[in-house]
Amino acid sequence: MADLRRRDFTRGALALSALTWLPLSVGSAAADPKKGGILAYATVSGPGGLDPHVSSSAVELEVIHNLFEPLVTLDNQNATKTMLAAKASASADAKTYTFELRKGVKFHNGDEMTSADVQASMERYGRVSPNAANLAGVERYETPDPYTFVIHLKEPNVVLLDVMKAPVFPFMILPASQKDKPARGVDVIGTGPFMLGEWVKDSHLVIKRFDGYSADQSAPGRDGYAGRKTAYLDAVNFRFMPEATTRIAALQTNEAQLAGSIPFELRGKIEDHPELAIREIFPLGGVYIIVNSQYGATANLGIRQALAAAIDISEISDAVGGINKPNPWMSYPNTPYYPGDQTPAPWYDQKNPAKAKELLAKAGYNNEKIIIETNSNYQWMRTTMLVVAEQLKAAGANVDVRIVDWTTNASHMQQGTGEWNLSTTLFGPEHILGPQQWRPLIYAFSNIKGNDALDADYKAFFADPDLKNRREIWVKIQQEVLGGGYMIKIADTGRLLGYAKKLKGQSDYAGILQLWDLWLE
Amino acid sequence: MLRLIANRILQAAPVIVVVSILAFLLINLLPGDPAVVIAGDQASPEAIAAVRHNLGLDKPLIEQLGIWFLHLLQGNFGASLMLNQSVVSAMGERLPVTLSLALLSIAITLPIGIFAGAVAAYYRQTWIDSTVMTLALLGVSAPAFWVAILSIILFSVTLRWFPTGGYTPFMQDPVLWLRSLVLPAVMLSLFQIGFLARMTRSAMLDVLSQDYVRTARAKGLGEWKTVSKHAFRNALILIVTAIGILLSTAIGGSVVIEQVFALPGVGRLVVQGILARDYPLVQGVMLIYGFAFVLINLAVDLIYTVADPRVRYD
Repeated sequence: MADLRRRDFTRGALALSALTWLPLSVGSAAADPKKGGILAYATVSGPGGLDPHVSSSAVELEVIHNLFEPLVTLDNQNATKTMLAAKASASADAKTYTFELRKGVKFHNGDEMTSADVQASMERYGRVSPNAANLAGVERYETPDPYTFVIHLKEPNVVLLDVMKAPVFPFMILPASQKDKPARGVDVIGTGPFMLGEWVKDSHLVIKRFDGYSADQSAPGRDGYAGRKTAYLDAVNFRFMPEATTRIAALQTNEAQLAGSIPFELRGKIEDHPELAIREIFPLGGVYIIVNSQYGATANLGIRQALAAAIDISEISDAVGGINKPNPWMSYPNTPYYPGDQTPAPWYDQKNPAKAKELLAKAGYNNEKIIIETNSNYQWMRTTMLVVAEQLKAAGANVDVRIVDWTTNASHMQQGTGEWNLSTTLFGPEHILGPQQWRPLIYAFSNIKGNDALDADYKAFFADPDLKNRREIWVKIQQEVLGGGYMIKIADTGRLLGYAKKLKGQSDYAGILQLWDLWLE
Repeated sequence: MLRLIANRILQAAPVIVVVSILAFLLINLLPGDPAVVIAGDQASPEAIAAVRHNLGLDKPLIEQLGIWFLHLLQGNFGASLMLNQSVVSAMGERLPVTLSLALLSIAITLPIGIFAGAVAAYYRQTWIDSTVMTLALLGVSAPAFWVAILSIILFSVTLRWFPTGGYTPFMQDPVLWLRSLVLPAVMLSLFQIGFLARMTRSAMLDVLSQDYVRTARAKGLGEWKTVSKHAFRNALILIVTAIGILLSTAIGGSVVIEQVFALPGVGRLVVQGILARDYPLVQGVMLIYGFAFVLINLAVDLIYTVADPRVRYD
């Protein structure tokens, strides 16, 4: 049996990578933390709901990750780490997973967390979460005692813990009383270092320090989403301010001490202020052109590859601005599944219109319309696709750009509806999680159907216990997806956060907002 | 009077029905799918289909319309898909913000707009008239978004007179309530003042050239009395009409101001509802707005009878 323990699970057969605990922080780490104070965080908008099992929205997850905790999560190297579990282990055949729970962990309502709560949460997840397909392989759950939880699988799944650490649609543990609550209908009761206070929709949301919080005393300190968390702040007030200028003004007047989503062109307004600073959060996600493989000319593999040959990444990055770093792969550097700089990626950044023209002719392109769909909501997406349109025109493609709103655009991409050949989107933390999280996105967004090679590669991936082999399979999957022109990678991108220098203890881990271990000087 | 009110409400019924059908069709005809928004980026087609089924969105459009009307007859405006609360309660939470903003901006607009328009008319074709009308033109044409941001930089960041954004309920702290609304209300009233000043000037110019004004002057009545009693009173019909329009636009058109000043009002709610394809929310709010506009028009009609005794509805 392979054991995954806090700070000591890299020996396990299922472990992703060697890791060391690295305390990372922004600003003065030497100053003594001080308890108290209310942090005002100016953010773009507020959550629609706080049901972790159905949440994939960034604004919801920023609150959720401070209120709830899962059994396993990500450490600051993005590897799997236990959180509410004291120990997680898998049987040799990867069909049975056993979790020993930490004792004395309290919910915000004062009740102690037991295996009954864990089982109820997993069962609810399987019923309401859009991500429930990841639990389809579960045969049954077992709770031999209040502090042990066992998952029995029908088939081997060597990456189940990697699936369960996902920060999107997180596998958070709720009290058993929430088991039958409908999607978006739960009472907001978690085990996290903060608990829900006042919530006025569209105005503000307050989370308060949970004084009964049971920190993971075995860890030396914070560690990504895991580790020993300490809430110093009395409360955090999320103020919903859609306009970037207003958020910056709130920072400048000390009405807020933290502000999210600062536009790159306005960073100077913060950097020029003696009491304010900018934090670059990178990587936030990867930007991709989505190629509709089920519609019109782009159903043709040769045409998809020709279009990819015309793309010049630096032109796009220059036009869009912001923090963009070229990366041909679907995993970030320094993460377990990154193929390395030496692995060839001939499909990336070819900037060769002549080759594109030649490939188009070879593929039998007959001047059919290449419809680019983008949206009016996100300027960077629009700019990206306008530059792409010009690059494709230079390669001889007959391009038609159509602008709709983001809801329509996203719906078309995700469902494969509408008339479009190319569009663009940003995929969030899936890069750090790995191929298991990528699978539904790859199939949904490019509408891949009937690709036997891809299907076979994924089947092999989920069954292979050896990380080295799985890495090789992941390279093959990327060769199929990117080399086959289903998606065209642009770059990895980041975002800017503005903060008052008196806000101390920020980690430079590029995860979803973490408010523990922060204090106001 | 009661008969007039009853008549007007009866006449409004078909308007409301048409508004509700239009509201239903327009939002449903938009491309995009609320089930996709709710299910999230990673949802499988099966999960999206399940959400659509749960929300009743897989039923034929005409059946959905029928169900909506049936619920309306029972006083049920539906529940928001994104907020997980009833449309009436979502609207009720935000209406005080929008109404406070609208009424405060109207309170600022009325004296300034009417006075400026009357002065411009009285001093027509002088530098005073030109100055007032140029300022009015600026007020009408300056983009609210841009002016609002400049006002935040000046009054909130530099002078620190007002908060940068947000809303404090009146019952929580009346002083903070006023502070949080002054700047947005002033910004909203810039357009309104310009509009009302131009309407007032136009109405006053018509009246000031009438025989009865000349007669009033000929019989030795003072200028103040002539203008205020004989001219202004007769210009009121047009001014009241303009105020009705302004109140409607202030309630329905404060989206940009609410967005810039981070005010949790109905305008922002509708925009979010449209972006999320929250059908019941947008339909419900549009219907409630329809009622509100009918009531405002009714109030304007009633004020006509007070402003001009010649107006009779019987």
